[in-house]
Amino acid sequence: MLEVTELCKSFGGLRVSRNIAMKLEKGERRVVLGPNGAGKTTLFNLLAGTLQPTSGEIRLDGERITDLNVEQRARLGLSRSYQKNNLFEGLTVRENLALAAATARGGTSSFFSRIHESREVRETIEEVAEMVALADKLDLGVAHASYGNRRQLEVGLALATKPKLLLMDEPTSGVGPGMIDAFHRLIASLPRELTIVIIEHDLDLGFDVADRITVLNYGEVVFEGTPDETKGSDVVKEIYLGDWQDDA
Amino acid sequence: MVASADFWLTQFLNGLQLSMLLFLLSIGLTIIFGLMHFVNLAHGALYMVGAYAGVSVAASLGNYWAALLAAPLAVMLVGIVLYALVIRRMRRSGPMNQVLVTFGLIFVIVDLVRIVWGDIALGMEQPAILSGPAEMFGVVYPAYRLFIIGVGFVVMVALSLVLSRTQIGAMVRAGVENDAMASCLGINVERLFFVVFCVGCALAGLAGAIAAPAFSATPSMATDILIPTLIVVVIGGLGSLRGAIAGSLIVGFIQTFGAVVLPGLASVLVYVLLATILIFRPVGLLPARS
Amino acid sequence: MFHQTRLKSFAVTAVIAGLSLYAIFGGFFPREIVVEIALLAILAISLDFVAGYGGMVSLCHGAIYGIGAYAYAGMTAIAGFDAVTGTIAALLATALFGLFVGAVTANISGIFFIMATLAFGQMAYVVIFEWKALGGDDGLSGVSRYDLSAIGLDLDDSLQFALFCLALVLVVYAVAAFALRSSFGRTLSGIHSNENRMRALGLSAWKHKAVAFSFSSVLAGVAGILAAQHTMFVSPELLVWTVSGEVLIVVILGGLGTLAGPIVGAALLVFLKHEVSAYTEHWHLIIGLFLIAAVMAGGRGVYGQAEHMLRGRIRRPADA
Repeated sequence: MLEVTELCKSFGGLRVSRNIAMKLEKGERRVVLGPNGAGKTTLFNLLAGTLQPTSGEIRLDGERITDLNVEQRARLGLSRSYQKNNLFEGLTVRENLALAAATARGGTSSFFSRIHESREVRETIEEVAEMVALADKLDLGVAHASYGNRRQLEVGLALATKPKLLLMDEPTSGVGPGMIDAFHRLIASLPRELTIVIIEHDLDLGFDVADRITVLNYGEVVFEGTPDETKGSDVVKEIYLGDWQDDA
Repeated sequence: MVASADFWLTQFLNGLQLSMLLFLLSIGLTIIFGLMHFVNLAHGALYMVGAYAGVSVAASLGNYWAALLAAPLAVMLVGIVLYALVIRRMRRSGPMNQVLVTFGLIFVIVDLVRIVWGDIALGMEQPAILSGPAEMFGVVYPAYRLFIIGVGFVVMVALSLVLSRTQIGAMVRAGVENDAMASCLGINVERLFFVVFCVGCALAGLAGAIAAPAFSATPSMATDILIPTLIVVVIGGLGSLRGAIAGSLIVGFIQTFGAVVLPGLASVLVYVLLATILIFRPVGLLPARS
Repeated sequence: MFHQTRLKSFAVTAVIAGLSLYAIFGGFFPREIVVEIALLAILAISLDFVAGYGGMVSLCHGAIYGIGAYAYAGMTAIAGFDAVTGTIAALLATALFGLFVGAVTANISGIFFIMATLAFGQMAYVVIFEWKALGGDDGLSGVSRYDLSAIGLDLDDSLQFALFCLALVLVVYAVAAFALRSSFGRTLSGIHSNENRMRALGLSAWKHKAVAFSFSSVLAGVAGILAAQHTMFVSPELLVWTVSGEVLIVVILGGLGTLAGPIVGAALLVFLKHEVSAYTEHWHLIIGLFLIAAVMAGGRGVYGQAEHMLRGRIRRPADA
């Protein structure tokens, strides 16, 4: 469903992403692990179109999207939630979700329609609010919402576009354990046809949710496999735990 | 249309003279803009104050050179007052608020000048040794205008030396590139801004005093010169001396030669260039940080 | 997000009603003032649409106003077309100019955006100033007002013209409000709030901004057409950048992003100008100080402050 080949990104002499290759099946849950600075968010930026690669190809459902910009990729069904909350400040939760749902549906340029208030959009808002546990907070102003709620909305915005491919950048960053559990249940409840890539720091969550895991280090893919394979890999252990043999 | 070499030489000198005036105004504005991220639309009004201050001092003391010294000081004083009352507080506001506040300042300063000096254009005597014609490259040209060009060059060289050879110059360049980092390095950025702002005001005052004998002091100076100065700053590039030099030369020459070669179209030409730069390279041709 | 609240309705009706009475019972000069306010209000509403609700602070709306005035004047007084054709031509001219500026500046933001609009406005000023056929510095006269005798109105009568202009303020307000509540307007608010997120949701933000600027320009063009008819004369002074500055001041004094604020601000500024001018020649000084104080104090504007205080007492959906 998503095919990434030889993806490279350099900023001048600094090679941030090197020869990244990934192949995702439809409905797959792929978790991307790696230490800070490994290039995980850069990878997302390349996939979403915020950054243009120096070389390499990205294919979505067989179609080449490497040259497409952010909005064009979004219209093909790619959706993204951000590591740092990227919400519509000054508006309510409902208005935020309305914007996401309506924009994805299209018809937002008309002076003669009111799609943000249409039944279809309202149904999507209720559905998504239920999924991210914000159903009772729809009229809350985002500026007054707690960090956890804002994080929930961040995910909600990405879901409200009814995407085909969902990229989630550290969705549980900064939230408490109770919410991590809730988030875990949310992922499990998402439609099986939806392909999801998650950047995670919480290893328990990562191993639990993933069908396959990709590990990045210094901009390269150093390992790819099932959760069990990843747990057993020496390469991965060394990245996260260091090399103990020399201390013996 | 084949004109004589003399004609073109005269136009060249005209262009250079306009460029120097624009330079004196734009260098202050661009460093303030690049360093403090502050848009000061009242900069043109300060130029006007310099012209009027020059006129008054020259009239009361009967000495041109005293006026040339007093005007920058007077404008610098006005600048200090403005900084303390308004600019220091508005520095971190968004561009729209800065535009509005400095727009208001234009109103206030222009009207205050009109109250004190009236509405009629006021002339200023050129100093005896500079009035009259001079010969340059075989062409006869007003000596006073050559003086304007000369002053511009001296300031250009002086600033170039200060910026590249002195510690304060290094601090200014550091601040323009990254003020947060500069402040982490122990540079008192707030004090630096204040100093730079004062110097910018002094230069505007100097430009006004120099222009007064050639062009007369009028209240409309404040707004007439503002747009060309802004254009120079944007085209040349923010925060850099080279940008200010390049920008003033480009605008000065386009306006001068354009008026002669393509009258009517010349004025539009500068705006077309400005729009092109804003669309394709908004940081300008030679910005301090690219 | 725009919501037509009771406060907005009250403010708009109150100002328009008050001005109508002032025109009816006053003599010639009050009617001139009312027309001045009406034109400024329409222009300010058009600017608030893109600046307050779209985040695009333009310093060329004065020039757009001038383009509308000149297009109407040129088509009717010089080319001899009828009023309807002239109106359509003027609105088309402003729409195209706005579309062009909006498209070209769509990816510029902050102070550079403001300066870009300033540049384009000045360009328009210079082109019109240098265009000999349009009269240059002397301007263009011989513009006539709409002939509404078919519905029993004589716009050459100062009272009827004043009331006609006030009616158009209501029309322009209603059109802008309608647009802001539509899919287009909601999306514009989204762009204002977070353009990058809107793009990530699939919106071609630049196209939307260009159309928004064009729509706003059409509204400004309406003011221009009326201006041409009011004095039956147009001059390049309409396009000077300081006019654009004054429109922005009106929007700020009334309340940016409130739509009703600009109408209040226009009335405020014009009355202040005339009152102060009666005592002193230096009303610019007073306005300048007022403006500086207003912006430094937080800049919500007279109407905007009222709205803010009311919201503090009543829980309402966010009125951004």
